[in-house]
Amino acid sequence: MRKKFELRKTFGSFFTNYLVLVAIVLLVLVTMIVEPKFLSSGNLTNIMRQFGPLSMVALGMTFVIIGGFIDLSVAGTFSLVAVVTVSLIDPIGQVPALIAGLLLGALCGFFNSVLILTAGALTQAEALFITFGMSLVYGAFALITTGGAVLNMRDITSSISVFEGIGQGTVGIFTVSFLIFLVCLILLYFFQSKTVMGRAINLTGGNKTAARLAGIPVDVSIMVIYTLSGLMAALGAVNQFARVTTAAPVMGKGFETNAILAVVVGGTSLKGGKGSVLRTVLGTLLIILMSNCLNLLGVTPYMQNVTKGGILVLAIWLDNRKPL
Amino acid sequence: MSTISDEILSVKDISKAFPGVKALDNVSFSVRRGTVHGLVGENGAGKSTLMKILSGVYPKDSGTIIFDGKKIESTTPIKSMNSGLAIIYQELNLVNSLSVGENVFLGRFSQMGGMRGIHSKARVLLDSIDCRIDTHRLVDELSVSEKQMVEIAKALSFESKLIIMDEPSSSLTCDEMKELAKIIRQLKGQGISIIYISHKLDEIFDFCDIVTIMRDGQIIDTKATAELTRGEMISDMVGRTIENEYPERPQNVGETLMEVKSINTRKLHNISFEVRKGEILGLVGLVGAGRTEIVRAIFGADKARGHEIKLDGKTVIIRKPIQAINAGLGFVSEDRKLQGLVLPFSVEQNISMGNLDKVAKHGVLRRAAEKEIADKYVRALNIKTPTIKTKVQSLSGGNQQKCIIGRWLETGPRVFIMDEPTRGIDVGAKYEIYMLMKEIAEKEGAIILISSELPEVLNMSNRVLTIFEGRITGEFDPQMVSADQVMESALGLCSLEVHERAQEI
Amino acid sequence: MNVKSFGITLGKFASKQKALVAILAMLVMMLFFPTNFYTSYNLIDMLNSSSVLMILAFGVTITVISGGCDLSIGGVMVMSGIIAIKLMEFMNMWIAIVIAVIFGAVIGFINGFLVVHQKTEPFIITLGMGMTLTGLAQHLTDARPVTGSDPNFMMISNGRIILSFTNLVIIMLVVLLITHVIMRYTQFGRSCYAIGGDYDVARYSGINVILIKWGAFVICGITAAIAGVLLSSKLNSGSSIYGETTALVVNCAVVVGGVSFAGGVGGIFQAALGLLVFGVLENSMNMLGVDSYIQILTKGIVIVAIIWLDSFSRKRKRERV
Repeated sequence: MRKKFELRKTFGSFFTNYLVLVAIVLLVLVTMIVEPKFLSSGNLTNIMRQFGPLSMVALGMTFVIIGGFIDLSVAGTFSLVAVVTVSLIDPIGQVPALIAGLLLGALCGFFNSVLILTAGALTQAEALFITFGMSLVYGAFALITTGGAVLNMRDITSSISVFEGIGQGTVGIFTVSFLIFLVCLILLYFFQSKTVMGRAINLTGGNKTAARLAGIPVDVSIMVIYTLSGLMAALGAVNQFARVTTAAPVMGKGFETNAILAVVVGGTSLKGGKGSVLRTVLGTLLIILMSNCLNLLGVTPYMQNVTKGGILVLAIWLDNRKPL
Repeated sequence: MSTISDEILSVKDISKAFPGVKALDNVSFSVRRGTVHGLVGENGAGKSTLMKILSGVYPKDSGTIIFDGKKIESTTPIKSMNSGLAIIYQELNLVNSLSVGENVFLGRFSQMGGMRGIHSKARVLLDSIDCRIDTHRLVDELSVSEKQMVEIAKALSFESKLIIMDEPSSSLTCDEMKELAKIIRQLKGQGISIIYISHKLDEIFDFCDIVTIMRDGQIIDTKATAELTRGEMISDMVGRTIENEYPERPQNVGETLMEVKSINTRKLHNISFEVRKGEILGLVGLVGAGRTEIVRAIFGADKARGHEIKLDGKTVIIRKPIQAINAGLGFVSEDRKLQGLVLPFSVEQNISMGNLDKVAKHGVLRRAAEKEIADKYVRALNIKTPTIKTKVQSLSGGNQQKCIIGRWLETGPRVFIMDEPTRGIDVGAKYEIYMLMKEIAEKEGAIILISSELPEVLNMSNRVLTIFEGRITGEFDPQMVSADQVMESALGLCSLEVHERAQEI
Repeated sequence: MNVKSFGITLGKFASKQKALVAILAMLVMMLFFPTNFYTSYNLIDMLNSSSVLMILAFGVTITVISGGCDLSIGGVMVMSGIIAIKLMEFMNMWIAIVIAVIFGAVIGFINGFLVVHQKTEPFIITLGMGMTLTGLAQHLTDARPVTGSDPNFMMISNGRIILSFTNLVIIMLVVLLITHVIMRYTQFGRSCYAIGGDYDVARYSGINVILIKWGAFVICGITAAIAGVLLSSKLNSGSSIYGETTALVVNCAVVVGGVSFAGGVGGIFQAALGLLVFGVLENSMNMLGVDSYIQILTKGIVIVAIIWLDSFSRKRKRERV
């Protein structure tokens, strides 16, 4: 009885490990055949550019989820960092503004962890609602900062070269933003699998109580995952507004849901303890490709949501069933 | 010889096997109506498996059960309750977030006439056992003894003819024990039969008319308590002379290694004691007396204020486990599944998690070092596992425990706290762990041992402290006193009174 | 009882009924400002604005108490509203409404299947379901509101049969009463509490945990559909706008009111209070002319504050020295 279950689970996880890859391959093949424009350099560049912001947020979210928590505030952080950074370009210069923006993101995340730790919140549900509330708070600050207006970078300042470089620049066939993503991925993969703190985060998600008793710095791990999430949201925001050269105070909307879906579809369990940034990359790729391919195939944006939602329900159902 | 209709329960040739272990081997016994029937045996003797089969939690592999004249083939917990067989578990089967009344009639809301019906009927039941708890109170707020009353009321609500009580007295205070004794007397008077499972031999002799002794999944004997002596019962339970079961105690006990002064918490009162180099110090007491609370306070796992801990004469500040570990303490907690292991993680990771600083350089993990440590302990402790990458959840209890011990051994603690280290572990593995403990003590460390198995703690310890209701009530040298004396101190001075009261049954 | 012990009892009550305290505080505060807050028109309007979400909340509370979680309610709501409006064009209005409600039941059934039978993680699966339904709603309406064709339809929510209360408010109160009675006085409701409180103990007691938890999802779907129909009636149009954010807002409000996400704790009245907190907050801030962005900020702060206090008090209880 037990052997049969283990066999099924191994087969199941083999299947679902590669389910995302299979889905991506299928999607790409079908699109390539029906609409060869898919492979045009313009489209591929487009994909790379869209990939940037979501991948940043999703990478950050991965660690929060591995640690057994969740972060719904990234949308607010995203928007806030975007508008604040853009607003600061003129007063303090591009690079300082960039640094300030990233610090702000990290600070937002850090503050979330302070709230969670001081409240003694142990469950994912408590973290869910606290970060949901903070999403409203950060989002409100973004709206207040610009008075609801969309900031057009070109109107505000003449010096946007750095950001233009990030948003539009290319190095060979790769966009700058893709390279930034690559660097982040390598660093975060290394962090997750090879560092003590990475392991501590895994253990915290696996069994908080046991980890604490064994001397693992659980509280510090919680601070790290949220601060990192905020920082990555900030990076994503920079990625985004650098590309479109505008910063809207609501531009973060939807990123939290998409990030969570990217992580979960990629194969990281919401229960925490295990997961990988590599899987999240696949999940993000699937989500981005779905939009791109379905667009090219002439599917209306709304049917895209339907397809996206439907595929996600399917993927989660197959992958996340609790052991029978 | 009793006639069949005298028997409320007759069990014949019941066998039950789990993967790797035969829990019950052709077990047969019967319970006469209106008697209090004791069931004794060491941990792992099969008592709880047998009771779970009777109450419908597990199916039996073979054998027959006749209850109240009817043959029982397969049953579920609720069917069993409905037919008149109730069981009160040690862990208590109540929903904490619901009221007393609702718990008594859980699942029978409309049958009993809704909220009003439930509460009035529950009131009647509780009154019949002289219990004054308000039925509207949430179970969460009750003490263990009060929760037991709720369970008894629940059993009575099914008009139970046989009530099985599994270790009912392990968490009770003296007064509460007297209450329970009174209730048992009352139930017996109403013609209800009781199976009383306990490892407190005094209670068996006090309350039970007949006792069945189990060992290693078999029934050894069933006899009237009046015809049995304590010594005979113990040797039936144990089946071998105790001396071979435990290694020699550590010999060279030295000076004070650790001093603990004035731990005061909600539950503990002025706990102060010392631990000496090279010794095994045992903490004896009932479940709930405060033993685990004491060690958790020392280890920084629970909040406590105003106490002082000194190691080698120097004060150390311990407010969190990591500080305790750095100061040289180790802690094997009593619940290895919830508090010790990360079940879905590998053997290797469970061992290394306490030693990440040792397997890393500048914050980077070195896989080779991690593997080395894991291999070392798999060998040294004889941990049976396919590979070090195997998930610990698939290991047996004993091997799981060894993983935790291996983790702590690597940290090289000077004071090693072990809370129920051999719980749920087979005899062979137990001996291995005992030898380990001796080795640790002999390397100039010390062990604080908490165990509910009196023979174990008495045979392993150089010194024993008895804890009762949050206080240290005595200090003994196990080689100089009898188990009875130690137990009496652990039960407070009331055991005599309970004994006298029980004689009136 | 002297002053001190009264104060302590009051403090304990306040810490248990945070939502009520927040509402009372706001009500008291509004006494000091010269606004139209305390007119019958405004008070009814306040209830009216919250009613649709309240109905959603009552259904989702049942699911949460039984240990589940449903984030698809927004999607169900907008879809049912759109189904009702669209079908009304070629069939009897009431039949269209019934079909819309059945739709909600079907979705609830599917959710129950995925969560209870297939044992999938409820948070993410109902989130995905909600996304799918919202997308479908957007597709069917091209993201533009579709106007109702039957003039009687508007009257369902907006008519005033009793005094000057809108029908919507009356219906909401009826749903409140019905769900409250179910949860408090029926076997089904009490079983939900048992299952949410301790799944295994409930199972051992003979409660059919699978059927009941599944049923809770179905009821949630039905109430979401009813809310959707009433919303469409209120606006006389089927719109997909409210699909996305509603689920999280309602679940959050329910938790703020005192229903625990762990299950087994809370009740319909608490859910209502939780939503009222935000209803009163929004109304009073509007009355006071508070900037809309500050309103969002305040809402976020209230959410964080109440949940933080809740967690903190549990932490204090755990660590009592």
